[in-house]
This record gives sequence, C-alpha cells and structure tokens, in this order.
Amino acid sequence: MNRFAARIGSACAIFVLLATTVVRADTVSYAFERSSITFTHITHTGGATAIGIDDPALRSLLKALGAALTWRAGDRTVLIATSAPEVISFGVGDDQYSIGALTAQAGFAPYMNGTEVYLPFDDLMRALGVAPAGGVLERLLTSVDVEGYGPQAVVVARGGGILHGRAIGDTPDHLVYEFDGVGTTLAPERTVNAGGIRDLQITSEGSVRDPKTYLSFDLAPNTRHDPPQSGSGEFEIAFGANGSAPPLMEPLRESLAVAGAAALAVVAEATTAPAPVVTASPLANAPAAANATVDSVSVSTLADGSETVAIGVTGDASYEWHRLRAPDDRFWIDIKNAQLAGGPLEQAEANPLIALRVRQIDPQTVRVALSLAGDTALAVSPSASGITVNVGTTMVGESAPREGTGTIGAVVSANEPQPSITPVPADEYGASNSGDDTSWKFGPRGYVPTNPKLIVIDPGHGGDDRGSVHGDLQEAVLTLDMAKRVQSILIARGWQVKMTRTTDHDVDATPTSTAEAKKMGYDNDAADDLQARDDIANESGARLFVSIHCNAYINSGPNGTTVYYYKPIDQPLAQIMDRDIAMAGLAKDDGIVKEHLYVTAHADMPAVLIETAFLTNPGDYAKLSSPDWRAQMAQAIANGIDQYAREYPVVGSTQQ
Amino acid sequence: MRSLRIVFAVVVVALAAAAGWYFLHPRAPGGENLTVYYTKLDGTTLGSWQVSTRTAQPGEESAARLHDLATYAAVQAVAGPPPDIQAVRFPSGTRVLDVAVNGPTAVVDLHMGPSDGGSFQETGEFKGLVYTLTGIPSINAVQITIEGRTVETLPGGHLELDEPLRRSDW
Repeated sequence: MNRFAARIGSACAIFVLLATTVVRADTVSYAFERSSITFTHITHTGGATAIGIDDPALRSLLKALGAALTWRAGDRTVLIATSAPEVISFGVGDDQYSIGALTAQAGFAPYMNGTEVYLPFDDLMRALGVAPAGGVLERLLTSVDVEGYGPQAVVVARGGGILHGRAIGDTPDHLVYEFDGVGTTLAPERTVNAGGIRDLQITSEGSVRDPKTYLSFDLAPNTRHDPPQSGSGEFEIAFGANGSAPPLMEPLRESLAVAGAAALAVVAEATTAPAPVVTASPLANAPAAANATVDSVSVSTLADGSETVAIGVTGDASYEWHRLRAPDDRFWIDIKNAQLAGGPLEQAEANPLIALRVRQIDPQTVRVALSLAGDTALAVSPSASGITVNVGTTMVGESAPREGTGTIGAVVSANEPQPSITPVPADEYGASNSGDDTSWKFGPRGYVPTNPKLIVIDPGHGGDDRGSVHGDLQEAVLTLDMAKRVQSILIARGWQVKMTRTTDHDVDATPTSTAEAKKMGYDNDAADDLQARDDIANESGARLFVSIHCNAYINSGPNGTTVYYYKPIDQPLAQIMDRDIAMAGLAKDDGIVKEHLYVTAHADMPAVLIETAFLTNPGDYAKLSSPDWRAQMAQAIANGIDQYAREYPVVGSTQQ
Repeated sequence: MRSLRIVFAVVVVALAAAAGWYFLHPRAPGGENLTVYYTKLDGTTLGSWQVSTRTAQPGEESAARLHDLATYAAVQAVAGPPPDIQAVRFPSGTRVLDVAVNGPTAVVDLHMGPSDGGSFQETGEFKGLVYTLTGIPSINAVQITIEGRTVETLPGGHLELDEPLRRSDW
C-alpha cells in the first residue's frame, strides 16, 4: 500500500512539475519610460515567454510606440503597423516573421490558446525596437542609415517608436543630437564622406532605466543641413556639402523609392536656419498625407488569351513590384504614397490569372497582388494615369525580371533590373522562399507537387449530371456553392485555388460514348468527366485535391459527414479533414472510409471526397438548405486543408 | 488434488457439449455453407448470414459447380439479407444477369435499378457483393459489368468499376 501511495505521489509530483514548466500563466512587469507596465497575458513555454495579443498592457505599449496591431483570422496572421512605417507580420504556426521586407527567425512559432494568439515576446519586442532587460523595456535606436547622393546625403535613424532628437550642439563643423530615453547597441563610429558628413559617432550613456543616445556628426566646412524630420516615425536630417543646399526631402525620397528604398511621405521646407529643438507634436502619430489615390482596378481578357490588370491612379506616386519564381507564381505591386479608394478587393480569376487582391497594407501603400497560373510572361507599364500589368500566356524562364520600380503621374518612369540569382524577395506575407525547386516535395509520401501552393477544389457533378436530387435541392448546385466558398477562404489565406468547374456544366463536355450506350444509360461520359477533373489537378501539379459532394440513400436513415479516400497518401488528409469537420460540429461524424472512388484513385496527389451530408435525411436536408451551414462547412474544409499543410509541410519549405 | 478433479470435470463437460453440437446441429446437404455479406447502415461494417448449397452431383465438373456457386452467392448478395435486417441494399430492381468465373475473377453482370444514391450506397452495396464472392475459394476479385458492358462508373456514380474490385479496395 505504501509503495502504491508512493508511486501515485511521484506521478502527481511529475505531473505538477511538467504542468508548471511546460505552460505557465504569469505576469511580467517592466519599467517603461519612467512608468511601470505589467503584462498579464503571459505564458512561459519551454523557457520562452509568449504574450497574448489581447494583453491590455501590450496594446498600451503599442500605442505608446505609435504602432497598431491587427489580427486577421482569415489567414491567421498578426500584422503590426509600426511608426516607421513598416509592417511586422507573424503567422500562426510559422516560426519566421517579417519586419518589412526582412524575414527573421523567431524563438518559436506563434500559437493559438483558445481564441487568443500568443506571440514570442522577445522577438516581438525586438521587432518593435524595444529591449526587455533588467526589468526595463528600453527603447532602442535600431538603425542609422546614411544615403549619400554626391554632395547631398540623408541620414535616417529608426528605432522603437517615434524618435525625437534634440540638438545639443550645432557648430559649423559639428552637430550633435540627443535621444533621451533611447539606448542603442549600434556600432559607435563610422566614416561617411557623403553630403559633407565626414564621420558619424553613435554613443550611448546612462542606465537602462534612463538611457541617452547621441548622434554626433563631424562635418566638412561649408556643410549645410536641414532641420530634422520625425513626423513619420523616423528621424531624418538632410545635408548638403560645399555650400550646396540640402536636398528637398520629397524629391530625394522619391528618388530613393525608385532605387528600391523604403518610401516615405515626408514633406519639408528647405531652410538653412539652425535646427530648432524638436518637441513632440500632437500630430506625431498621424500618418503623412498620401498624394495619390488608387481609384480602380479592373481585369480584362485580350484576344490572345492574355489578361490585363488596369490600375487607375490619380496623382503622383512611385511603385515597386516583385514576383516569385515557380512554384509560388505570385506577383505584387506596391503603389507608394497612395490611398485605396473604397474597400479592399479580392476575387478569383480565370487563367492565366488565378486571383486578384487589392488592399491598403499600410497608411501609405496600396498593394495589388496577383496569383498566377504559372511562370507566365508579365509586363508592367506605367503611365500618367496608372499602371497596366499584362499577364501573358507564354512561360518565361530565369531571365525574366523579378522586380522593378518606377513612377507614375507627372513623371513616368520604369526600371527593371536584370534578375539576380540571389534568393527571391520575401513574399507578400513576409515568408521567404528558398527558390530551390528541388526542395519542394512530399518526402515520405512520394508525391512531388510542382505547385505546392495550389489546391484543386472539385464541386461534384454538374451539367447533365445533377447528382442526387431531393426536394428543391440538387447536389450539383450545392457542391458548387460550397466549393466556391472554400475557394474564397483559401485564396484569402494565400493559397492558389483551381476549380474543376466554376459554373453548372460538365467538366468534360466531349461526348465519347456510342449512341447505343447512351440509350442504355451506361456510357463513358461519366468517367470522362471524372477523369477530366483529375486531369486538371494532375496537370497542374497541385498539392491537394478535394472533391465536395452530398450523400444520399434509398431511405432517410443515414445522416452525417463522411470523408472518403483511397490511396495511402490520401489517408492523413482524410483523417485531418474528418477531424476538423467533426470539430466544427456541423453534422454527425461518420468518419473516414476507404473506397475505390474514381476521382480519389486517379488523382496523383493526396485526395479526398467529402460527402458533406445526406440529402435524404430530413435533418441533413435542412442543414444543406442553409447558406450559413454551407458557409460553416466550407470553413471547416478550408481549415482541414490548412491543418494538413501545417502537419505535413512541404519538405524544405517554411511556407504552408 | 481437488483442483485437478475440477479441471478434469470441466474438460469432460466441454467435450460432451462439442460432441452433442456436432451430431445434433443441422448441416447443409453436402456439408457446404456459404457466407453472404452485407454492409450495415453505418456504411462500413460488414454483417453476414449463412446459406447452404446443394451437394455436388455425381460427375459434376468443378468449373460448373464453381460457376453455380458464384451465381448463387451473387444473387444472394444482391438480394440482401432478410428485410428486418438494417443493411445498405442495392436499389430496387437490381438483378444479376449472369456470372462467369475467369480464373480468380468472377465477372458479375448486373441490371441496375434506378438510384440517385451517393457514395454511401455504392460503397455499401458493392462491398457486400465483393466480400461475398471473394469468400469462395479460388475467387479473389470481382469484375462488374452492366448490361454486358464494362463501365468506368455508374451514371453519376463515384465507384470505379472498370477494374476488378478486391477486398483490398475497402
């Protein structure tokens, strides 16, 4: 008895120990800018600290830093627009995050705890430009860039929150700015020799509770400088050597944007007056006004099958575009210094376009993103009234430009540098792609998708084949409805989606059966139709094939959802799909069933056929009648696809 | 010593019961039973019942007997279990037109009754038929034909029928 009690006691002790070390809810307090800030949505996972995005103190901190957090449940992404302005992006389940165009490795992947997303605390703070150390959240000066253009130069300092520098020394050969409450770990000294700046020293003093950082410029004779600008979140000073006037900020920044640098909308008056003491402005957090407006985005198909995306822009703006190599096949163009008129746009398109998205990604930038059917020829043409992107039907190779910049409006220009062999730019969500096509494969499962981002959705039946028909409901109509809903959800999450049919028609309209066979009702057209669906998936090298159906029987007894599979590589997808649909609680879970169904057997990739509910059962019939229920089913199917992608990632890829 | 007596008594009783069952249980003529399978209404689980076959006739060729046995089994499977048993059934009007045995494959020609059932029905009805026929020694696959023709699927159907079906297909 004593031995038994001892074992039970030991087990309890181990359980308690594990429970407290693996996940432990906690609070953490820091001193921040001469006050205390206490985070309450804190967990410690395996020694690392995670913070929930609903933490009130985090929201206060972000506000103090001039940042705003947005949770996009659709693609499970946390976006934080900083004062820089740039966007920090964390994806749930992805241990890489992005800061603007840069991709960084997090200590662990963000995760969901209930309905709240938890982010790696240290990485989040670092991205925001603050350093948690010694019970203090210290704001940091994280970068000082000197952009020189002959006799002119602009110095741009960035860090945690909006930086306010105070001139404490201003002589003809020396200029010193103090940043109170800001620390730094930057290298202390650098030689510049641009714009009349000979050397720049970065020094820091004080304690972590009361730090000060200084920028000291050693200037050549006759160097002039503008007063600093900090309204956009960055601290900028323009210099002019040999008595030349410092550059007007706006034209110079525009030229920087053309060169691929971050675009800013800073308007300054040229002056040679001594720099005044900069004080905080009530408008410091307000975004600078945009000069241009994206008024319209439209798609048209030309006679040769190519498609043209016309982006109507009013005003002057610069732009920057990128495209990812296969298998990603995505293109996006950022129109800088612009506002999107109206709301965001998201819609599916026909080949060679897969989808189109338009949105305001930060207060100054409108992004138009295209998912392409392949590595198609693509031409970007700026004009005074906007930009035209022509997506051709021919394929291009490695020699095709992968990025470009330009201006529209009063000055129209375009610059498309020759492609480099260096890694492709970060994608529109910040995740990076190694560009190594050989790494895209399903290792243990033997199928190699040539397009791992492509999901084929198959709405069952259609056209002459109505499927099961009961009451007012037809299977062919219901499956198309649910498939379109799945398509929209997946596209919103960054997937490419190909539908085997988008209208109520036969997928394979070519009659092949004899008249005699047709008369008997048993012909090959049905299987041709099914094979055509598989052909669409197989020829596009899709990652997954998901066929959506409604079940039926000769009586009203059977009900529920069944996920059918056939090949061994189908089974994990079927299990995950069934689990996610069951979790949604939409219908009785009838589990997964192995069955030699045509479409799953002849699909090269992992494939499932989902019989969502029984048209012949009164309860299921009512569910299928409900658009809301069908939307929830579509959500569950999309969740299953996402979950599968997370649990069975493409080997060598950081993407889902 | 006492425990040995108990064990001995149990063994004797068991032997007596087995002998009684062997001599008193009604056996089919010829001593051959056939197991007919059906799919329960959960869509996957199999149920079965036993039917007896006639005794072999003097001089009857084994091939002919195998053909008769397969035909009998197919007809029973398509007819399904007694009506009071909940089972996935072929649509009303379905009947077996012919059965041929080609090596290890039984070719079953069917006339299908009208149906707009989904995967559930196809799965259940053909699973029972294939399990029944492949329960006959020497048969391990079933090729379905419709009105004498090989079809890839039933009209509007899901199950692939242009290749022989095996138990491993489920």
